[in-house]
Amino acid sequence: MGRGMYERLSSILSYLYLILVCTAILLPLSITLYRAIVVYNPDGSITISFQSYTMISEAFWDKVLVNVSISLLTVAIDVAIAVPAAYALVKYELKAKRLIFTYLNGVWYVPGISYGLALVLSYYFVYKFLLGFWGFVVAYSTGFMLLALLTAIVAFRNLDPVYEEAARCLGAGRLKTFFKVTLPLVGPGITAGVVLILVLSLNEFITALLLSGPTRVKTAPLQVFSDIRHAGIQPFVAAEATVLQLVSLAIVILYLKFFGTKYLRGAIMI
Amino acid sequence: MTTSVGRRWATLPLITPAIALQSLFFFLPLIMILIVSFTYRDTFFFSPVYTLDNYVKMFRIYRIDFQNTFFLAGMAGLIDIIIGYPFAYILLRKVTRFADVFRAILIIPLFGELYIAYGLLYLILPGGPVSRLLDTLGISPLDVLYSAPMAIFGMSLYTLPFVVYNIGISLQGIDRSYEEAARCLGASRLKTFLRVTLPLSLPGIITGWLTSFGWNLGTLAIPVLLGGPILGTRVLSNQIWTTSLVTSDFGMGAAIGVMVVAITMVVFYVVVKFSRGVLI
Repeated sequence: MGRGMYERLSSILSYLYLILVCTAILLPLSITLYRAIVVYNPDGSITISFQSYTMISEAFWDKVLVNVSISLLTVAIDVAIAVPAAYALVKYELKAKRLIFTYLNGVWYVPGISYGLALVLSYYFVYKFLLGFWGFVVAYSTGFMLLALLTAIVAFRNLDPVYEEAARCLGAGRLKTFFKVTLPLVGPGITAGVVLILVLSLNEFITALLLSGPTRVKTAPLQVFSDIRHAGIQPFVAAEATVLQLVSLAIVILYLKFFGTKYLRGAIMI
Repeated sequence: MTTSVGRRWATLPLITPAIALQSLFFFLPLIMILIVSFTYRDTFFFSPVYTLDNYVKMFRIYRIDFQNTFFLAGMAGLIDIIIGYPFAYILLRKVTRFADVFRAILIIPLFGELYIAYGLLYLILPGGPVSRLLDTLGISPLDVLYSAPMAIFGMSLYTLPFVVYNIGISLQGIDRSYEEAARCLGASRLKTFLRVTLPLSLPGIITGWLTSFGWNLGTLAIPVLLGGPILGTRVLSNQIWTTSLVTSDFGMGAAIGVMVVAITMVVFYVVVKFSRGVLI
């Protein structure tokens, strides 16, 4: 067997392996979609119909709306808080920089189940005013802040200081330099954080499960969970399960189409 | 990188909101759960009765839950390493076309364990697509569905991206000249891989396994929906939820919660020590 032949075979096998693993990753989503839209007729034929989506209850769509509002508020809060912090961490000499970074990221290392319970207890005793919709917003903002922080840090680090220095030399103020030069250059990086937070907060399940009792707020994934337990695998449950997944997928695909994978590498991608 | 050392004061308004948010809604709740874990049942809500009982009893009552959780999470991590190592290696070294498509697909498990659990649940439930195949092979779908292997498969799908990421970071950090040197000195491809590449990427394997383990300690939907009535409900995450919020034994729920936090803290401390990456 020649060398070229070996390379060719190894390349084909490599692609086959990646495709096989990716198929397994895509399996749950595609099988759920299949359940939602493929109908077995009594005569044995198969038709594709989106009727299951019309069978989703009004209440579920309300919960989707609640979910979307929570996610958008979470994104707004996290960007407003994390981007300045990332700027400070990258641009300024700070004592205990490492310690601050670890402190801000701590929540990521605590499982959602324990974090959820801890939050519930603190809501009961300290933050009674958060027993409701805002309890979710605060929980998600705290839990996902590091995604905005990390992507912003990567973006600020990749930023060549030459552009800012040029703007300053040409007479732009500190503020003007930030808004006219720095922000447009790091925008795509910050958007990466926005996308990650959106996707994760739209689908957050464990923390929501613990918060839902005390706050009396139910998000869409919780409705899916309780429908799975009560209605099993009926087509409308499958349809419900696909709604936020497809929204998340659309967000991710749109982002990748505009900005590619560049800004996500080093954060969650190799 | 540092533009103005003297302007240290300027960082305060920039970084304080972030620190405040984490202090108020992460560290304070953590302290609360720690305190509650030392109280008897739900007495903390009225007049706290402090006791060490929760921790003493925990390992006796919930020994099986600890075992199940460790077993499921540990196995899922192992499978992730076996599947994820070649994946990361190929993605970084062999593939040039469509590499971004494969990267993008790795985001999908981040949508959450609930959807993974649901998809796999339907896949093999009676009447589902695979059950017919299993029927013809003479295997009962229910035996496959409600079992540890299915829960492990679900968990490993959930955490595969983190493992690929960890191993990938470690592979990227390897100086290729070591491998070239080994090849030049006459080592075969396989020998080069086993003697040079693999040992150098060992930190990635360790951090990958630990990360997967840490994440899977907290999964609930996958074991509950796929693990079956016996194994599935007896995992730590489900016990934390039911003992605290369903049966109102907040003391015990908090104690298990604290234990899970302690375990993951140790796990991730090791990960951060070994890892070169920023995020796990």
